[in-house]
Amino acid sequence: MNGERAETILRLLAEAELRNQLAPDPPPWAGGPGAGRVKVYVVGQALSAVGALDRETVEDVLADFDLAVGLRRLHRARPAITRRAASAARLTAQLSPGRPAPPPNPPGPPPAIQAQWATVAGGGPPESTGSLGPAAPVPADPEQDAADRFVPIGLTVPFHQGGLSGELYLMSFAHTRAGARLIVLWGKPTLSRDHELGLQQAELFPVDLFTVADNRGSAYELDFTPANGSEWISQINLRPVPPDGIRWLEVVAPPGPAVRINLDPASGPPGGEPEVSAANLSAGEQLLIMLAEELLMVAAQNSPAMRPELPALSPRVMQTMGTGLGDIIAALEAVDMLPPLSPVPAQLAALCESLRIDGHEIAAAPADELPEPWLSLLTYYQRRKPDTAQVRDGFAAMTAALPELDGIRLALVGLHNTQGTTVLHVLARGLRREERLGPHGADLDFPLSFWLRDNGGRWHAARPIGWQPTDPEHSIGLMLVPPLPRSTAWVEVLAGGRSGEVRARLPLRWGAPP
Amino acid sequence: MTDSPKGVWFHCLPRCETYLPCGAGRHIVRWEAGELRLLSHPDAEAELVLAALGGEKARCVEVAQAWERHAEDLSVLAIGPRGPADEIAVSWDDVDAEVRASQFGGWTAYAPQAGGRHPGPGSRRGPRPLAPPVPARYQQPMQDREQAARRRNDMLSLLALGYGFQVRLIGQVAEAASGWPREAGEKIRPSLVAAITARLAPVAEEWLGIDPGQVVVTLHRGPGWGSAELIGRGEQRRLRFSLPAGWLALVWAAGLALTGRHLVVAVERAGWPDARVLALRAPGTEPVPLEVHATAPGPASGGLDVRPGAADAPHWEVWEV
Repeated sequence: MNGERAETILRLLAEAELRNQLAPDPPPWAGGPGAGRVKVYVVGQALSAVGALDRETVEDVLADFDLAVGLRRLHRARPAITRRAASAARLTAQLSPGRPAPPPNPPGPPPAIQAQWATVAGGGPPESTGSLGPAAPVPADPEQDAADRFVPIGLTVPFHQGGLSGELYLMSFAHTRAGARLIVLWGKPTLSRDHELGLQQAELFPVDLFTVADNRGSAYELDFTPANGSEWISQINLRPVPPDGIRWLEVVAPPGPAVRINLDPASGPPGGEPEVSAANLSAGEQLLIMLAEELLMVAAQNSPAMRPELPALSPRVMQTMGTGLGDIIAALEAVDMLPPLSPVPAQLAALCESLRIDGHEIAAAPADELPEPWLSLLTYYQRRKPDTAQVRDGFAAMTAALPELDGIRLALVGLHNTQGTTVLHVLARGLRREERLGPHGADLDFPLSFWLRDNGGRWHAARPIGWQPTDPEHSIGLMLVPPLPRSTAWVEVLAGGRSGEVRARLPLRWGAPP
Repeated sequence: MTDSPKGVWFHCLPRCETYLPCGAGRHIVRWEAGELRLLSHPDAEAELVLAALGGEKARCVEVAQAWERHAEDLSVLAIGPRGPADEIAVSWDDVDAEVRASQFGGWTAYAPQAGGRHPGPGSRRGPRPLAPPVPARYQQPMQDREQAARRRNDMLSLLALGYGFQVRLIGQVAEAASGWPREAGEKIRPSLVAAITARLAPVAEEWLGIDPGQVVVTLHRGPGWGSAELIGRGEQRRLRFSLPAGWLALVWAAGLALTGRHLVVAVERAGWPDARVLALRAPGTEPVPLEVHATAPGPASGGLDVRPGAADAPHWEVWEV
């Protein structure tokens, strides 16, 4: 790794941007006020993401750049950078539709991107960055496969007590070396009149009502923890860990009856064996793919059809996300993190053209073809009419343990729809939660490309929106864009890393509410 | 400071001075022979001791301290002017406003004077904790912000001295950097490459009409002045230079970079107002020695508001080839 080269590239970029931004008549490629900083920022993040440059150096370069620009603008009438920041902040504020509870995060640009837009354009301190590179590996666990057991459930446990009624949806059972637990989803409770009037305090998640026992008569202590940073999705950890060989568990809540969970994996709907194919992506290619997918997801969530009331905003959001892509590619090539003949820059250029992003400055000619998932999401973005009805609430039982990719093991343990958003729940090993951000909000803590194809042929991109870090497993919620309709009978999972790609076909067993 | 066989880096630079608001009056600060001198504070050391005991610290002394703090700070190269056309206008009012802003932001390490009076220009008390104890988790961000505010205040103060002082500080930083051992020098090479590129590019544009973005610099180490070549055509044209860090100090800071349509690459005999330099007529040619002579137009106006601006920078002419 040539850190000196990377730092030189970043400093020279800062120099060029300072020259462009301060020119009396800035050239068109300067991209307007604030764009220079965005470029320096995202290129610094990219170099840091692939491990070519440390975070402190990026921060130093940015601090110098900010001071150099700020001091030269001291006596200008209206600091353009500040205008840009205000504009970005306004823009992102307008893009946050804000919704009531169940889904962990609202649609629209993820908080990371929203914060980044305001920070980047306005000159605030950079967010943390980290290395995408051949992962600072979390110690491998050779015995994992032997111990792991994942069972889809798809059952509902109703409860009623003291004026509080509701349902607990059992999505799956997972038994790994980290323990045994049920992955559950809380339904929206019904409150008595006293609760509604505030005369009696409501316990929205009445965990004490539930008991669990197995076919041998052993009872378990239950430990509820939020699964993905949201209390609506929980893990019920069973203590002690059930022994091997138990056939079923019964979950009971008043007034009953008990709901029996068959723990024989064969009892679930049949799925296909995962198919693995090798790949050999450079760290730069992997980062560019993550950027492309981020771009696609933000585009899909902010398409003109989706937000007809704000027609001017979507293009501006996309322009912002395209800023600096050409510089990122040039920098990655210069530090040997992106092969000169890589097809990814051309694909990214084609994607930008398709999204009408004209400030990307990617030197490569746009590719003639795009990966099928990208095309599918582009089609969704370009639809002329918004979806007529949001997807119905519900959950789907499904489980699959995917083969290891780049040292990361994922187990799919269910998905649910709430208020038009689909969240896929996974358990992950081999990851570290450090809240590292890459350029334009790319989540470096989850360095995988992750897609689902439904039985209708439409692809759905996935990215983390909720994360419950535990040792050694993390519980992660992946938001799917577009959401998955309840008519979906099966999905094909496509997970891609630098070293390979995994495909697995999974049937879905949809559950309540009806 | 390091002496080279061809003279000390600042020998091509004349004395430079300015007035700054200090206490109730205006004091002269002078740069001469590579040093900052406080003419109105003959015993600055004693004043520092008094300030440490709670007395007021004179602005002149603060500026001198800031100068010392940043005399080897490569950020000066990234922030300071790129040439006479890039004059950074910072007034002492700006400095005061910045200090006040950082104080009222609640993060600064400096307290206002006793009695509640706003600190006037050039008089601040020494460091004193402002607030009750801060929870541990906020201490690091707080320290970072304090450090950033102090750095910004330092830079503003140093820039407020005027262009003449700014280029001399850049020269001093570059000279210090060129003296670093080779191993350590590798760590600072990116900053130096960017600093030279930043200042050579506008000179090259004036010299050849080349786009500043087409100037490519590498850092020269070892004997000789370096190298220069022009390659490619059209958008692929590149002017490649290999220059030592000392070029910034000996040549650029002295205002010698472009003299008589020659690009000066080295100083053979440093001196003021006469010197002998090595200069290129065109890229790819061998540098020729030139005898050069400087004139300094001097401050455009007299009085207490004089600050050495870019217009006061020395103007060198070829005396004899």
